[in-house]
Amino acid sequence: MMSQPWTLAEPSHFSSAEQILFAVLAILSLALFWRRFSPILRRILASKKDADFHLAPVGKRIRDFVWEVALQGKVIRQRPLPGLAHAFVFWAFCAFAVVTLNHCAALYGAGFLDPHSPVGIAYFYFAAIFALACAAGIFGLFIRRFVIRPKWLEPFSPESGVIAGLIFLLMVTYLAAFFVQPDGVAGRALWWVHALTLLAFLPIIPHTKHLHLVLSPFTVFLSRGGFSKIPPLQGDEDFGLVAGKDLTQLASLQAYSCVECGRCTEHCPANNTGKLLNPKQVILGVRAYLNEYGPQSEEALLGKHNSQKAIFECTTCGACEFQCPVGIEHLPIVIGMRRGAVNTGEWEDEHGAKLFLALERGSNALGISATERDKFIAKNALPFYDGTQEYLLWLGCMGAYDPKGREIVLSLVRVMRYLNVSFGVLRKEKCSGDPVRRLGNDLVFQQLAEANLEALAQANTRKIISICPHCVRTIQEDWKEFGTPPPVEHHSEFLARYASQLPSVPNQEKIVYHDPCYLGRYRDVYDEPRAVVAHAGQLVEAERHRERSFCCGAGGGLVFLGEETGERVSHARARELTATGADVVGAACPFCNTMFQDALAAQGPNAPRLLDIAQLAARGLPETEAGSVK
Amino acid sequence: MKIIVAIKQVPERDAPIRIAASGKWIEEADLQFAMNEPDAYALEEALQLKEKHGGEVIVVSAGPERVATTIREALAKGADRALHVVCDDLADRDALGVANLLAAAIRPENPDLVLTGLQSEDVGLGQTGVILAELLGLPHSTLILQVEKTDGGIKVKRELEAGWFQTIEMPTPAVLTIQSGGNKLRYATLMGIKKARSKELRTLNAADLAASARAVVTLEQISLPKKQKSTQILPGTGKEAATALVEKLKFEVRVL
Ligand SMILES: Cc1cc2nc3c(=O)[nH]c(=O)nc-3n(C[C@H](O)[C@H](O)[C@H](O)COP(=O)(O)OP(=O)(O)OC[C@H]3O[C@@H](n4cnc5c(N)ncnc54)[C@H](O)[C@@H]3O)c2cc1C
Ligand code: SF4
Ligand code: SF4
Repeated sequence: MMSQPWTLAEPSHFSSAEQILFAVLAILSLALFWRRFSPILRRILASKKDADFHLAPVGKRIRDFVWEVALQGKVIRQRPLPGLAHAFVFWAFCAFAVVTLNHCAALYGAGFLDPHSPVGIAYFYFAAIFALACAAGIFGLFIRRFVIRPKWLEPFSPESGVIAGLIFLLMVTYLAAFFVQPDGVAGRALWWVHALTLLAFLPIIPHTKHLHLVLSPFTVFLSRGGFSKIPPLQGDEDFGLVAGKDLTQLASLQAYSCVECGRCTEHCPANNTGKLLNPKQVILGVRAYLNEYGPQSEEALLGKHNSQKAIFECTTCGACEFQCPVGIEHLPIVIGMRRGAVNTGEWEDEHGAKLFLALERGSNALGISATERDKFIAKNALPFYDGTQEYLLWLGCMGAYDPKGREIVLSLVRVMRYLNVSFGVLRKEKCSGDPVRRLGNDLVFQQLAEANLEALAQANTRKIISICPHCVRTIQEDWKEFGTPPPVEHHSEFLARYASQLPSVPNQEKIVYHDPCYLGRYRDVYDEPRAVVAHAGQLVEAERHRERSFCCGAGGGLVFLGEETGERVSHARARELTATGADVVGAACPFCNTMFQDALAAQGPNAPRLLDIAQLAARGLPETEAGSVK
Repeated sequence: MKIIVAIKQVPERDAPIRIAASGKWIEEADLQFAMNEPDAYALEEALQLKEKHGGEVIVVSAGPERVATTIREALAKGADRALHVVCDDLADRDALGVANLLAAAIRPENPDLVLTGLQSEDVGLGQTGVILAELLGLPHSTLILQVEKTDGGIKVKRELEAGWFQTIEMPTPAVLTIQSGGNKLRYATLMGIKKARSKELRTLNAADLAASARAVVTLEQISLPKKQKSTQILPGTGKEAATALVEKLKFEVRVL
């Protein structure tokens, strides 16, 4: 039978020898796949259960799944060109699932898509379009990985080349079948090459990064359900991630899902400024650990496959977790290992110990006498909160003790007084516990959270406002482990609501806004501070902004840990902010502020000035007697 | 080495101090308490000696119920067991009265080394350790920054005035009063706290110890320091005034 031109050539009958040969090879291929995949599956399932895991809310999980997996939204958004190339490969695979089933079924005369029926023709053409796009995509990805070779795709992986070759072959053999006779030698040969490529592909999957084809849909769907979600410790023997026995099923699943794309490392401020930390290697280190010691091992996690030094270089900026296209959550792992090292006393660090001791005995991370806070409150006549005012103004360590932090608080106070919004401060306030939480000291964190929760409850607190994104996040999310914190908002959210009621500033300076990690990625607040900035001047953007903002270097307790190796993260960011040519850097976090003071000074005489959004908002207000600092 | 560390619980540094109605002590009702700082260094020294040479670290503290939290903290940091001498008349006892209690609790233990802080952050007498040594009939050394074990006893580094140090060798058993700053303190850990729960904390009743409370020093009155500000004009030419200022900064204010 003569085939019409441009239909898929499919041999109309196969010999029993062919049928038996294929069956044997298919079984072999599946067996090989299972032999490699089953130990991995076993290691994941044998890991500790995630005690805090809840499937609800399922709606959000489905939404994330559709966006991240089906639509490849995250992959494309974060790296548009390679992302699109990847998406076409993925979609082609989906479209191909039916083609492949039919391909194998045809061997046994059970083909369900007739290449001559309208449905068959339509579907095969549809798949052909994807095959074309996929072949082009895989070719582009191949060029990128082996010719352009961006540094985050290190180390060089020859097996990626083999995989790319196999995928390319699958597509080409499919497309070529449109140009040959179904029952000719060429048609049969194409059928076999296509089938053999498929069977060769299968066993390669489990021991390469292509395991993500199998695992990542589950990883995305089964996320922990929150950004940087730190699981509560369970029972008396849980001190965080000390050894393999502490790795949970989600942690193990994630470790095996990593596709080694290096997005996390590409955006990591520590890695970009010459530190040892490499978030991709952290995840691969956990995988290597599981391969060597297994999930129930007592062998320390920080040792052969992950380094303590690197783990304590993390600013917890969350760029890695935010970027990861396969749903890997780095922060519970990084902070988990810190907990393991700190809760058992393994971590020895002069500055770290000083911070912990200051918070064991005192009230604030700066190690200053609490009477200084009392004096600041008295001097500026800040009222005490008694349950009747609208806001409890949370000062935080920086707002209560740091000179710049105090200026920010007093600017906010001026605005609140101008707007006639009532507020009061707590008589006794302790550090929210952010630095000890991120450094993994559960003992001190619990003490601080409980003491503060009690003080807030005693004061009948209705709503909290704070100038510090770290306090906001810690109060709202992390304290939940020990009670019910009152609602809390960052001053940018408050100021944005009232911006229209503030006198405008005639002087239209260029202001570049720096997104603090704990406000942006952690809280999803991007537009409010920009509205405040736009009210006070002309908003300009730095090269990396919003979700992609680059850390100031202070987070994760690092601001208290002394010297950095390599370049200072704050200097790298200050250079980028200065390059915008802005007159002013608008900050929204007292820690960013403190980091940028020095870093901007190092940019020379043309460096922009540094102001918090509260100071920007207060610029147009009439001068008052309030506002003196100290 | 069997080491006993005497640890006192004192008001937290930030605590707002008010004089009690008696005028002889402070109002304790709404105070927060913490471990006396030099005692924390004494504990650290003991723990490090134990880590190097093995042995046992025993904590002893005299005071009311509330003292137990500080004892737990010491156990959490690594002490092996503790003795709590329960007494409610601490503020009425002079240094001899407190040392009598401690000596009675320590004597049956026959330690190789007794470490106390140099002085307490509340009354600051600097006497308790020295009197304790006398009561136990042991040699002592004060203002110690470092302790090293030798073949026959110990070698200790003492702090003298003006940046000078003295190293002396002495036999054990002995009593040492430890100065702050000789070591780096360790932080408390969750694991330590959990382990501390199962460690032995023995309570001894002050009344059962046959320790005399008779005071040889009586406290008349305590008062808050008066804030003073005084201005002094240094006369003479600029150079003379500057020289005089440097003198004052060096020898009176001692900041240079
Ligand atoms: C707890 C504590 C806190 C301190 N705080 C401070 C402080 O805040 N500021 C500060 O500047 N200093 C401080 N010091 C140091 C203190 O001022 C000196 O140690 C003290 O003044 C020395 O007096 P002493 O009686 O201990 O001297 P010792 O040297 O023991 O002398 C004792 C006495 O014996 C007699 N004596 C000794 N040798 C002879 C001799 N050769 N001939 C005749 N008589 C002799 C003398 O009468 C002498 O006064 C502190 C010391 C301690 C223990
Ligand atoms: S949180 Fe930030 S600093 Fe830490 S590993 Fe991830 S990207 Fe790097
Ligand atoms: S952890 Fe995620 S972002 Fe990082 S290399 Fe692996 S897959 Fe890519």
